[in-house]
Amino acid sequence: MNDIIFSLLQVFGFVALIAVSVGIIELYLWSHFRYHDKNSIFFTSVFSFTFLALLFMNIGGLLSIKNFVIFMFWEIFLIYTSKKLIKGKNYLPYLLAAPAFLGLLALLLYPFLFQIYLSFHDLKLTTIMQWKQLGTIPFVGLKQYISVFTVPPLAEAGFFKLLFRTLLWTFVNIFFHVLGGFILALLLSELKIFRGIYRTLLVVPWAMPQVVAVLALRGEFHSQYGFINVMIKKAIESFPWLASIGVGPVNWLSDYPLLTCILINVWLGIPFMTVIILGGLQSISKSYYDAASIDGATYFQKLKYITLPLIKPVLMPAVTLGTVWTFNNINVIYLVTGQSGGTEQADILVSALYKAAFTYNRYSYSAAFAMVIFLILFMISISYSKMFEEKNTDKGAA
Amino acid sequence: MASVTFKKIVKKYNDNLILDGVDLEIRDHEFVVIVGPSGCGKTTMLRLLAGLEEITSGDIEIDGLKVNDLPPAKREIAMVFQDYALYPHMTVKENMSFALKLRHFPKDEIEKRVKESASILQLEKLLNRMPKQLSGGQRQRVAIGRAIVRKPKVFLFDEPLSNLDAKLREEMRVEIARLYQKLNSTIVYVTHDQVEAMTLAGRVVVMNKGHIQQSGTPLDVYRKPQNVFVAGFIGSPTMNFLRGKIEKQEDFFYFSNQSVKIFLPLFSFPEVEKYSGKDVILGIRPDDIILDDKKIDHAHKISGNVEVIELLGHRENIYIKVGDQKILAVGEAFSNFSPGSLVEFSFNYKNIHIFDATTEKRINS
Amino acid sequence: MKRETAKQILIHLALISAAIICVYPLSRIFTVSIRPGDRVISTDLALIPDGATFLSYMKLLKETYFLRWLFNSLVITVTTSMIGVSLASTAAYAFSRFNFFGKKSAMIMLLSTQMIPAGMLILPLFLMIMKMNLMNTYLGMIIAYSVSSLPFSIWILKGYYDTIPKSLEEAAMVDGTGYVGAFWRVILPLSAPALSIAFLFNFTSAWNEYLVARVVLFSSKQYTWTLGLFELQGQFITQWGMFAAGSMLVTIPVLLVFLYSSKWLVSGLTLGSVKG
Repeated sequence: MNDIIFSLLQVFGFVALIAVSVGIIELYLWSHFRYHDKNSIFFTSVFSFTFLALLFMNIGGLLSIKNFVIFMFWEIFLIYTSKKLIKGKNYLPYLLAAPAFLGLLALLLYPFLFQIYLSFHDLKLTTIMQWKQLGTIPFVGLKQYISVFTVPPLAEAGFFKLLFRTLLWTFVNIFFHVLGGFILALLLSELKIFRGIYRTLLVVPWAMPQVVAVLALRGEFHSQYGFINVMIKKAIESFPWLASIGVGPVNWLSDYPLLTCILINVWLGIPFMTVIILGGLQSISKSYYDAASIDGATYFQKLKYITLPLIKPVLMPAVTLGTVWTFNNINVIYLVTGQSGGTEQADILVSALYKAAFTYNRYSYSAAFAMVIFLILFMISISYSKMFEEKNTDKGAA
Repeated sequence: MASVTFKKIVKKYNDNLILDGVDLEIRDHEFVVIVGPSGCGKTTMLRLLAGLEEITSGDIEIDGLKVNDLPPAKREIAMVFQDYALYPHMTVKENMSFALKLRHFPKDEIEKRVKESASILQLEKLLNRMPKQLSGGQRQRVAIGRAIVRKPKVFLFDEPLSNLDAKLREEMRVEIARLYQKLNSTIVYVTHDQVEAMTLAGRVVVMNKGHIQQSGTPLDVYRKPQNVFVAGFIGSPTMNFLRGKIEKQEDFFYFSNQSVKIFLPLFSFPEVEKYSGKDVILGIRPDDIILDDKKIDHAHKISGNVEVIELLGHRENIYIKVGDQKILAVGEAFSNFSPGSLVEFSFNYKNIHIFDATTEKRINS
Repeated sequence: MKRETAKQILIHLALISAAIICVYPLSRIFTVSIRPGDRVISTDLALIPDGATFLSYMKLLKETYFLRWLFNSLVITVTTSMIGVSLASTAAYAFSRFNFFGKKSAMIMLLSTQMIPAGMLILPLFLMIMKMNLMNTYLGMIIAYSVSSLPFSIWILKGYYDTIPKSLEEAAMVDGTGYVGAFWRVILPLSAPALSIAFLFNFTSAWNEYLVARVVLFSSKQYTWTLGLFELQGQFITQWGMFAAGSMLVTIPVLLVFLYSSKWLVSGLTLGSVKG
């Protein structure tokens, strides 16, 4: 009981701390932006905030010439921006956006930069205590990046095998997500009654907590008690000739782990696409179809010349997002194969990264690995956005 | 109640000049309607006065007090928006009392004022409704009610009737006129609809391209438009414009071009001598073209052919072609003209408008 | 006409089978959760098994820290959602209503954070939390979660603010508020639906999170429910019934909330991407 109360107090304290620091930051920025041209007020605020900064640095044990110089540089930068760019007008949006962006800076950008820092150093289980106490880690240059390609992250698979598996995984998943989503959405849109009920039932896989859904399905792939093998056995009992053509219970989890993961993820991902595509279909005006019918188009011609082009603006962003999500999907693979003694046959890049970091504790290696994955993903998204831009300019011309 | 002064107001959006040095004085208790085509800067004038936009240069004064840097809240103005801008999450009553609440008025005072303005606008039964439960006309009345509870120095109306259908618009127009008689306060009203301008205004301000083209009583603006723009903008159907030269023949002056030759009596253009031989634009409203055989100036009548006739019920628009010149006339309904037939007409010389062809300014008094 | 009816019947048949595939795993969990203890593992496929009992639920609540896990999850999730939504609400307002130097690049930055793999930052966050001595605490989890949904929340909220006519704030300012007052008294109350959607999005993503929790929390009393269930499921033979019972208990509320909000979520998703 005591530990709960202690934890809760900690949380409340944290929230209060955030509220207070947001207040101080807003006051600080406001006084700079607002009074840049009223020297008396302006310099009082600069002076008092400098004092506060020194005080906090002292309390936090961060007081050093280096930090103070950084603070002064920042101060000069801020004074310059408030004089040149903001000029006392229109400073409100900066105040409004500042807390969110500081949050992103501290918890997204800083970890990202820290990751880069790590990737050039050598942090592993043996050096972690040194880092914790002294804050220093040996610098190793590009060594980690080289070993990303030469030393396999896991016991079995090397980088290029993982990359190939990842691309396969992403492509197969997205293909079936879009195909399945499209078929279901078309069926739903043709319905006359009960559309809402079907829609509700069909989104259940998306709506369930992923952990529950994946773990439950994993159970269904169990070689002895899982639903799928039970069905296969029953089928063989009724139609013994099936066994003679090679049909039999399959050790899904140990023999075909990647296939199992893909099946599970396809099941998980179709509802999202269905809902997005259905939204796109419903936004297409009926009159296009009426016009096409008058022109004598068949069902498939309408599909090709009206439906597909018109849902593209809805579909493409969803596909981009879906690609990124699938590429980065650790959950499914880790939950299916992650238990101790689990297979590594299904691992893709990100799940290998997770295991390398937290199962094998190779921190710096993982950091470099992560950077490489990030670059691959970055290139994929750039090529996607290039595709978009071409589409957009096409539209502009037409 | 208060006066409003615009002094050399310039407004730019980036490099886009919206208002180019506008001067305007609005007296106490005056109902001023600013009218002009879209993009002429009329709404910007209103928003500058409200404090919703920043002035690029120049001064705005309310009651002699410079308000350039005052936020809207401190300008003692009330505004009725084009889309009404009723707060959707508040009842009619809350909408109307919001401003007073912000100013910490005592509760009974708020109650009193809301009741008062609700009864003026016949909103008593709607006070507890939400805006989305109201019809367009009712919302419009609530928006006005929200303004009048404030008892502000100046009322601003930004195209308040443009979202209503034609019938409702007429009703509300009358209601606003009635309200003005009751409140007798300073009102600045922006519209693109000249009918509203003519019927409501004590003074009409016609704007175009960031400049005030003319400011005067409705009759002034209609009878003595100061330039071609005002002449063409005010009045429906639009005035006929004829381009040509002033010519002197014997002792008489004529306006002529390739197709027509029009006699100009001296009383309609006393300074005609000065412009003899120069290019001018002659403007004549369709209503000022006389078709009635008994009233035509037979000595100087013009003949042309009827091209098209539009029957509007109580009258007809008759499109006449004289040579290459097209002229629109308005006649009594069922005037027995038929397309292609010959028609004779003359001008009502009292209402001829003559403009300099280059400056487009009025040159007859 | 006959052809049309036949077509409708076929569509219904196809959709019914799809719906069965979608719902079946959930119904299996339900079946397992009410099986009597000695027959948890079985090849039986009936929906309601013989001798159905709530024993697994009783056992789950008595013998494990399940309630404690739910409580842990709740504290962490509610706190992160509140922090996330309040930061997002003001930032989104800035993006929706103002033009300012750097707006475009800030928007691009927000979008591009969506491209950073969530799994990628677990390592540095884990090390930061370790360095701050916040391992195995709520606070460490809150810090790791609080900004992860921020870009998306800003995006949804901006999309919603954009649909509120600007004249409402102008009316409020003429009525006597400043910018801040107009935001507080008019925009925020009007955005209640979008705020709750952003809250739900933050909530569900933190509520269902597993990977960060796996590395930050290590004593079973501090577990979130995802970790707890994973552990139960790991010991396949003995705990399967309790795992199923726990799954039912966490899934039902999440499912209901999601079904209620999914329409909004999707419109937020497409709005952001199409208009962007």
